[in-house]
Amino acid sequence: MSSSRPRVAAPGPEKKPPPGAGGVLSRLRGRRGSGDAALRAGLPRSEAELLELETVRPEHVLGLGRVTENYLCKPEDNIYNIDFTRFKIRDLETGTVLFEIAKPSASEQDDDEEDDNGDVDTSAGRFVRYQFTPAFLRLRTVGATVEFTVGDKPVSNFRMIERHYFRDRLLKNFDFDFGFCIPSSRNTCEHIYEFPQLSEDLIRLMVEHPYETRSDSFYFVDNKLIMHNKADYAYNGGQ
Amino acid sequence: KGFLSLPDAVTCFRALCCKGPPPPRPEYDLVCIGLTGSGKTSLLSQLCSESPENIVSTTGFSIKAVPFQNAILNVKELGGADNIRKYWSRYYQGSQGVIFVLDSASSEDDLETARNELHSALQHPQLCTLPFLILANHQDKPAARSVQEIKKYFELEPLARGKRWILKPCSLDDMEAVKDSFTLLISLLEERELEPSRM
Repeated sequence: MSSSRPRVAAPGPEKKPPPGAGGVLSRLRGRRGSGDAALRAGLPRSEAELLELETVRPEHVLGLGRVTENYLCKPEDNIYNIDFTRFKIRDLETGTVLFEIAKPSASEQDDDEEDDNGDVDTSAGRFVRYQFTPAFLRLRTVGATVEFTVGDKPVSNFRMIERHYFRDRLLKNFDFDFGFCIPSSRNTCEHIYEFPQLSEDLIRLMVEHPYETRSDSFYFVDNKLIMHNKADYAYNGGQ
Repeated sequence: KGFLSLPDAVTCFRALCCKGPPPPRPEYDLVCIGLTGSGKTSLLSQLCSESPENIVSTTGFSIKAVPFQNAILNVKELGGADNIRKYWSRYYQGSQGVIFVLDSASSEDDLETARNELHSALQHPQLCTLPFLILANHQDKPAARSVQEIKKYFELEPLARGKRWILKPCSLDDMEAVKDSFTLLISLLEERELEPSRM
């Protein structure tokens, strides 16, 4: 059974590559290592290649060098009915809640109107836009809490890989194994998130270019992609 | 000239001595179990300096990184309702220690259920060699049983012989005592790390 410890990508390969494996393959191989020999032969790295795949696996997204243009799966792929209901960030040095967003419970939401046109934007629930003040980029450690509910099927091996980029540059890769999820459960997870060290120049650029900082959150069950959310970020709030 | 100016000397000194961030605190993965209402969520929230308001019954897992001065405890707290307890063992693998919380003032029936659950955990193959911190919570309630009574009722002396366990009374209104109990657990976790690994 997978453990629940967060896996932060270190610069460079985590494990010594086996003889014969190139540097690129080591980087793409997740901490647990892929047992699939076919994948080792030529791991796809571009979004176009991933869109062709029948199943997107963790090792595929770990090689992405920029945020994707498209979603790599459809909303219907979420067969486990996993729903993210709350997100909160606390500054661990002061305990202050910096940001919190919660989805209203089903009883609070208005009933959806019948939409016969079929023009509903099913991507609406998959994208969030955040605006923070510049001070946010100077935080060192925050506690990020995510809350999610699970449908009535048990979920084995639930894993999240989240990648943050400024333009084409990867700022941080976050890899977290939730493990097993009880059917019809509501679960929370707070992990301690250490901000990457950002140079003054990079901070200035990120503040001056709102929404060019973007993230992809990929969710896997049994190593198959079932959900893909996106977000973008501005750091010029309050100015 | 052969001499460094004072600012340069200071920079040099800093570069040599402050080679990087201090070593990170060791982390331990723990599982926190106990019946519903025993106070698991409240205790862990308070340890994380979170507001005790709006705490609802846990209906799944709640993972928190609880910081202490010399360690970070990654605690996976599991809901204690009947329909959730049957899944507890799905979360045992990879644990390095167990926190068991019980309501010292619960009914006889509930106390018996708690005893059965604690005994199962103590004997479970994935937990039986791990240190246990057993917290007799709700000591502030008038009906709370003493630690001596709990120890006797739970048959800890015979049943947990040879295992590492700590039994402590606690309540939400004395978090310093709770922190002290966790510090003791951290010592047990540290000792275990120093032992040669066994099958």
